[in-house]
Amino acid sequence: MYYINACSTISHQGSFQNESWINELKIVTNNSKLITPNYKEFVDAADLRRMSKIIRMGIACSKDCIQQAEIDNPDAIIVGTGLGCLTDTEKFLHNTLTIEGLIPPTAFIQSTHNTIAGQISLALKNHQYNMTHTQNSLSFEHALMDGMLCLDEEKDTVLVGSADENIALMDELSKSFNWSEIENKLTSGASFFIVSNAKNNLTKVQLIDCFTVGLNDTNPKALITSFLAKNNLSLNDIDLVLFNSNGTLKLDIIQKEFNPISVLSYEHFCGYYFTNVAFGMHLATEILNKKKTSFITNNKPVHRILLYNNFNNKNIGLTLLQALEA
Amino acid sequence: MNIYITGIGVISAIGLNVQENYQSLKNKKTGIAPIHLLNYKEKLLVGEVKLSNEMLVNHLHVATPISRTSLLGIVAAKEAWGNNQHHQDIRTGLISSTSVGGMDNSEKYYQQKLENPTPDISLITTHDSGDTTERIAKELGISGYINTLSTACSSSANAIMLGARMLQQNKLDRVLIGGSDSLTNFTIEGFKSLMIYSDEWVKPFDEHRKGLNLGEGSGFLLLENEKSISLTKNKPLAILCGWSNAADAYHQTASSPDGKGATLAIQQALKKANLKPSDISYINAHGTGTSNNDLSESVALKNVFKENIPPFSSTKAYTGHTLAASGTIEAVYAVLALQHQIILPNLNYSTPISETMLIPEVEWKINQEINTVLSNSFGFGGNNSTIILKKA
Repeated sequence: MYYINACSTISHQGSFQNESWINELKIVTNNSKLITPNYKEFVDAADLRRMSKIIRMGIACSKDCIQQAEIDNPDAIIVGTGLGCLTDTEKFLHNTLTIEGLIPPTAFIQSTHNTIAGQISLALKNHQYNMTHTQNSLSFEHALMDGMLCLDEEKDTVLVGSADENIALMDELSKSFNWSEIENKLTSGASFFIVSNAKNNLTKVQLIDCFTVGLNDTNPKALITSFLAKNNLSLNDIDLVLFNSNGTLKLDIIQKEFNPISVLSYEHFCGYYFTNVAFGMHLATEILNKKKTSFITNNKPVHRILLYNNFNNKNIGLTLLQALEA
Repeated sequence: MNIYITGIGVISAIGLNVQENYQSLKNKKTGIAPIHLLNYKEKLLVGEVKLSNEMLVNHLHVATPISRTSLLGIVAAKEAWGNNQHHQDIRTGLISSTSVGGMDNSEKYYQQKLENPTPDISLITTHDSGDTTERIAKELGISGYINTLSTACSSSANAIMLGARMLQQNKLDRVLIGGSDSLTNFTIEGFKSLMIYSDEWVKPFDEHRKGLNLGEGSGFLLLENEKSISLTKNKPLAILCGWSNAADAYHQTASSPDGKGATLAIQQALKKANLKPSDISYINAHGTGTSNNDLSESVALKNVFKENIPPFSSTKAYTGHTLAASGTIEAVYAVLALQHQIILPNLNYSTPISETMLIPEVEWKINQEINTVLSNSFGFGGNNSTIILKKA
């Protein structure tokens, strides 16, 4: 059994250290800004100056999670990131092509994908298993599945999360590529979780299972059915499908596909980034934990949420969460 | 439950396949030479794979654009996969790893962008590391669990470890695991900016070492569980019996002087393998030739093995430091050591490091009793990994 004992998210919602954020959800527009905490509360000012957005977000969410879960240190730190530390990567690349002679090393040092997990281990003085997964839209699920493996082995409490940051070049490229399917703002975000094999009085929800299919050539509905069957469930047992929609067309398809189950797109609330499914998992956790019925047809009680990550068509992620009393 | 290694593949500066790598190791023939293929401003010493992108694309018949990282990965992955077939009862996954991903193409795009208003944007489509792995998966017809790890220089050792855990926890029956990195201006400039790129031949574990020489390449291994080999009838080449990853939590790039993370990784891998330090026959060290790594690793070896350090060597002076690929390239070499009962030489060594006085093996030694090989990989972010292989 796996339980989510803490969640922390930095997003366009006021989600950070705010218990009631799902009551104030707003659709992300081109003008909305990422709502960030005062990072000085989490990182020493001298270190903070060097850190890009993605590292700051990762450390703040991690420390917040640990505080919420009332633990000293997790037994593993596992991070998923779709594109890694883009700010430092671009900065160092730019420097190598424009500076003659000695180039400062800081951006290079911070350009590797595992800077986030590495910096978290430094911040927490944590010597445990430290891993970074990067499989575009499935990076978060793969981190989560690794965390579940750890809990099936000898570990009790793991920190799992994901972070991605947008840079101006991405906006430029999306225009050049004419990525018409992207309707939502390209942005940044981070979500971290404490996942444990033991339930305690802080536990928010139960995590039933997580599964991915890369380079999928099967009908997603068939994948979902077999994923649920593996957990002795069927679609009738699902009260809400949280999915990743970039546009109204997809919403129509998903609604028809899952009718009469209620569906909700999380991407409208967090914007477009490779690991935004982690925002979806935090949202699902809050809906279940707070018994939030406003997203469900007829305001029926919500026991189980299927998180259906269809960020891109070829890679599918499925995560199943259940309310504690279910 | 045993984890069987049933296929190996490698491409590096010392050869385009396992056999060529074996011959070069035996003949003490380094692959490090002044830059030839990469468009770089100086004739630095690097371990280049001696095939251009065009030659690789023609040989593999793959669509472009494709990153050199994918191209090298496809060569090694195909060799490790061999003539294996897909089977409905064998759940097969792919776990690769890379530190640069498609940076070789991205830096070309970025250079064009600085110089002209209409750069070739198709070059940037191969940037993401996940794409690097998906191109390899496509060539082998693998779908399902496809994943990429990126923990700098320990990446592919971690891929080995994750693959083993996926089999042990019965999530997969068979998994192709590997790592791939191509040489880029980005990484060369990076290690130069850190002042750890040697302008001389890399000298692992030598008192007068001046830093690393970068290399490129890919290593892949096929791991199978009992059920899978009962169906494939593959003959095990070696058994993967120990693995561990631990964080040094000391500094973003430098290793701790007390070798804390490395010591933990080695100790925990031994524990996982249920072996005593004295059971280890040979150690393929990380040994990058930087002042910091080789000292910290030597201290860790002394912490664990005390006065009885098994024969050890670093093969970085053959291949250069292949970053994310080094863990699996060296795991392939570990399999060779077990198969042929050999110890691999550490080239360019002459004087022990004064603080630790450890002496690596410098000769190709045959007729050794090699029952177990321990292999270290340490990366930026204090990411330390150790794997242990034993005779099949």
